[in-house]
Amino acid sequence: MGPPIIGVSKHIQHIRELVDHVAHTGLNTVISGESGVGKEVVAQNLYSRSPRLGKPFIKINCAALPEGLLESELFGYEKGAFTGAEQKRRGKFQLAHGGVLLLDEIGDMSLPLQAKLLHVLQSGEFTPLGSEKELRTDTWVIAATNHDLKQDIAEGKFREDLFYRLNIIKIHIPPLRERPEDIPPLVDFYVKEYAEQLGGENIEIPSPRVIDRMMQYGWPGNVRELQNVLKRMMVLGNCDQIVNELFANQSENIGGPAPVSDIKRPVSLSDLLDLEGENSPESESFSLKAIKRKAVDQVEREIISYVLDKTDWNRSKAAKILKISYKTLLYKISDLAITPPPGKKR
Amino acid sequence: MATNPRVLIIDDTEEVLSALCKYFDEQGYEVVSADNGLDALKLLDEDIPGFDLVITDLVLPNVSGVAVISIVKKKFPKVPVIAITGWGEHPEALAREAQADLVLEKPFKLPDLEKAARKLIAGGTGR
Repeated sequence: MGPPIIGVSKHIQHIRELVDHVAHTGLNTVISGESGVGKEVVAQNLYSRSPRLGKPFIKINCAALPEGLLESELFGYEKGAFTGAEQKRRGKFQLAHGGVLLLDEIGDMSLPLQAKLLHVLQSGEFTPLGSEKELRTDTWVIAATNHDLKQDIAEGKFREDLFYRLNIIKIHIPPLRERPEDIPPLVDFYVKEYAEQLGGENIEIPSPRVIDRMMQYGWPGNVRELQNVLKRMMVLGNCDQIVNELFANQSENIGGPAPVSDIKRPVSLSDLLDLEGENSPESESFSLKAIKRKAVDQVEREIISYVLDKTDWNRSKAAKILKISYKTLLYKISDLAITPPPGKKR
Repeated sequence: MATNPRVLIIDDTEEVLSALCKYFDEQGYEVVSADNGLDALKLLDEDIPGFDLVITDLVLPNVSGVAVISIVKKKFPKVPVIAITGWGEHPEALAREAQADLVLEKPFKLPDLEKAARKLIAGGTGR
């Protein structure tokens, strides 16, 4: 399950050592680090080295769901607990019984829900919504966050007692820019993996010179950004140009206005979907279907624009790379309002 | 005591650690120390003669003192553990839950800690 913890830096060696020594304990753990550093990978490695391997590994993102929904996801509910609860539903704590529950983005959990989580951690018991019965759970709770929880405590956003209860083991993953020596082994690992997935012949892979350049880059999106760049290199070829673009975008972002969401600078999905703003669950038009549509449109727009850019707006070439028909591409260009750069014909 | 008791002392504040080590050494203990929880776990795993007592701070990098206590109590249930803690820190309650034999709040007097240590090693409650 999942990749191993890859790297040769002393940070990564330390993390591997830590994982080996604590995986059997099942003690509450907090994994911290910027977005894209591999917090989930570390959680999976803890799980696969623990006696809980083979039991459920359940993950929930505390930032992706509105408070009420997160609560019912975590603790489950009885039939009729609230409008729309047409049948009983088991919560994540029940599903993860005997195994691991990864609470991703724990720093985004609301204070009232933090209090309920603290109660579960203290007593090992929880009550599904609309139920009078307390259920026992034996769940290894691993929390992940990109927040500085100490700072959140100082600002009154995170409960100190919950912090200490979770922080029995702490694993911090430094950003990739602080451990560039991990880049060659990461490239090596993912090139092999993607080559297998792509399956084709003549796949271009980054040369030692390109990897050298990659080691100089800052990787604001960390390993996730590195994965995306590698995929792009292997799908589109022209590694040199792609690596040059990384640096060009980096210098653009320094000192300039806050960068808008673009494919080269990964942002969280909730940012991308603007869940705090226009697409907030409070808004009239909110529905899973509508948001999904918007997200898919956005992703398609990014990818098609990128490929068109690469092919110098040669639409039949782009259609081939995208593996869609020429007609579909033309339709999507107009539907998604993708505009060519000045001087190119629409 | 027939041989010198072996004590593992864990604290991430250098001055505190060296003061504790020096004092216990002078009192005739064989002292082994660690400035973080992971190194302490490695010592516990690798050390062949084993320890007669563990003294640990609670707030430590990576593996907390609470974790050290839980692990020691699971692997070596007979080894007594003393937790030392800063004033008013939340982990105090956690240390008791993890079955620390004694939780001592800073500041404390070194002779008092040593007296408690001696009692615990002899099989007492440390109080």
